Amino acid sequence: MGQTIKDIFSFEEYPRYERIGLLIFIVIILIFPLVVGHAYSRAVMIKFLLFALFGIGWNLIGGYGGQVDLGQAKNVGFGAYTTALMMVWWNTPFWITVPIGMIIAAFESFGVAYPMFRLKGHYFAIATLCVALVWKELFIFWDWTGGARGVEIPVKATADFVHMQFPSTIYYHYFVFFLFITQLLYMNWFKKSKLGYELQAVRDNEEAAASLGINVTWTKVKTYTITGGLGGVGGSFMAVYYLYIDPDLVMPLDLSILIAMTVLVGGAGSMWGPIIGAAILIPLDMYLGAWLALIGGKYGIDYMIYSFIIMIIAAREPKGIWGIVERMRRKG
Amino acid sequence: MLLGVKNLVKEFGGVVANADISFKLEKDEIVGLIGPNGAGKTTLFNCIAGYYKPNSGKVFFDGKDITGWPAHRTARAGIGRTFQVMRIMPNLTVEENTMIGGLCRTNNPRVARKEAQEILKLVDLTREANAYPTALPIATQKRIELARALATKPKLLMLDEVAAGLNPLETKEIIQTLQRIKEERNLTLFLTEHVMEFIMAISERVIVIAAGRKIAEGQPEEVAKEEKVIEAYLGERYAKGK
Repeated sequence: MGQTIKDIFSFEEYPRYERIGLLIFIVIILIFPLVVGHAYSRAVMIKFLLFALFGIGWNLIGGYGGQVDLGQAKNVGFGAYTTALMMVWWNTPFWITVPIGMIIAAFESFGVAYPMFRLKGHYFAIATLCVALVWKELFIFWDWTGGARGVEIPVKATADFVHMQFPSTIYYHYFVFFLFITQLLYMNWFKKSKLGYELQAVRDNEEAAASLGINVTWTKVKTYTITGGLGGVGGSFMAVYYLYIDPDLVMPLDLSILIAMTVLVGGAGSMWGPIIGAAILIPLDMYLGAWLALIGGKYGIDYMIYSFIIMIIAAREPKGIWGIVERMRRKG
Repeated sequence: MLLGVKNLVKEFGGVVANADISFKLEKDEIVGLIGPNGAGKTTLFNCIAGYYKPNSGKVFFDGKDITGWPAHRTARAGIGRTFQVMRIMPNLTVEENTMIGGLCRTNNPRVARKEAQEILKLVDLTREANAYPTALPIATQKRIELARALATKPKLLMLDEVAAGLNPLETKEIIQTLQRIKEERNLTLFLTEHVMEFIMAISERVIVIAAGRKIAEGQPEEVAKEEKVIEAYLGERYAKGK
């Protein structure tokens, strides 16, 4: 027990400069809303933290596991819909809906994982993408989920920590940061756990992993299940942050791809990957889009620039931006 | 009997890689499996270790029928192996490569790490513990595979061409290492090789296969004199000419 707690909070295997970097990062996030009052910048920051949160979850299967999953949006959707519907139907407190949403997302992931992991590489990626799209269509088709109209969460008269509704975005900032930190600590423990090591062995070489007694498929299934559960948390946050969700907001293909992209651009299989990736892609997306629309309605150009940057990174540095640091460190 | 193979057949789309092979391995033996290139040595290894399912025949290990078991189950049952084409985990350090083998027997990564450090000492890799394997020479990488397999605490260690690509000095060193670990860990060794100096120096008994069939078995010196063996290696002309 004591060892587990130590593993969760200990970052001692990271070099000194990385630990200092992490500390500086946390301090910046903590003081950001106190210094910056600009509403749009605060919204960008919250979205950055949300995608860093998504990235950490996806990094388990996609980074440490090396399995390119293009369907994480379905898990975001399960979390978001669980929270929204339970709040609408029974006025359930937020903190009860989160674990339930995680369990539903994990359960579904577990159910589809075994047949999907009979596939490898691109075929696996396509399968994940299809499963996510099927779920999105189902949520549009069903009446009890609100269909294409979505679900609106009634606004409370007073702000509270039970339903996580607040008068100011500053609360949401710290709220999503708290969720981010919990998953960061989970990830810190995970990669030092037995499953974490087994997963990295599977990523690096499946035959070798099997020769060491590792059940390759079962290792992937377990990780995929956990990744599903982690994805649900960000979904629950989206429900109370936007107070309105529909399948196009919480389950689209764009979302699945953006989640994978943040990690791949930043550097898959590292702590910094999701953070760096989200720090580049989210502000780029939001500022560039807004600016280009402002200077004469040039919609769409932002996507071109955005795609171009992703293409350059993919072509020049397949291991992502953190891959450059890693390579330099191994040399030095 | 530690390992028993009975009438094992493995075909790939009509091409027979192993035809009706039977043999036994006793505990504490060092047995070599030799044969010319393409004789079916690696296929036989893969059938025993669970990478291929044999078309027919049986494999017994340590009193159990393990025919058709997947690779991770044979590993847990006590069959450790190395690969002919090396399969090192490139993004993990030498120590991590080794400790993952240890996780086969313990759920605690800390215990596995401590054991890995001992094993690295045994195979002379302590200095390289924190290095990444891809930067290291081939002979060192072979030792990493060996360390990793040892970490799973096998009863039987199967080494597929462990001396291939090594120079005479490195070959000598690996023979010494193997003899040392066999003593210290009470292992049974089963090796394939086509470097004859290596296999003849280390094996107590050899099994010869050619074109998928077992053609001879016995003491290394005796087997080397058998006509069938010479024929398989050098062609009919040399066997007759003797």
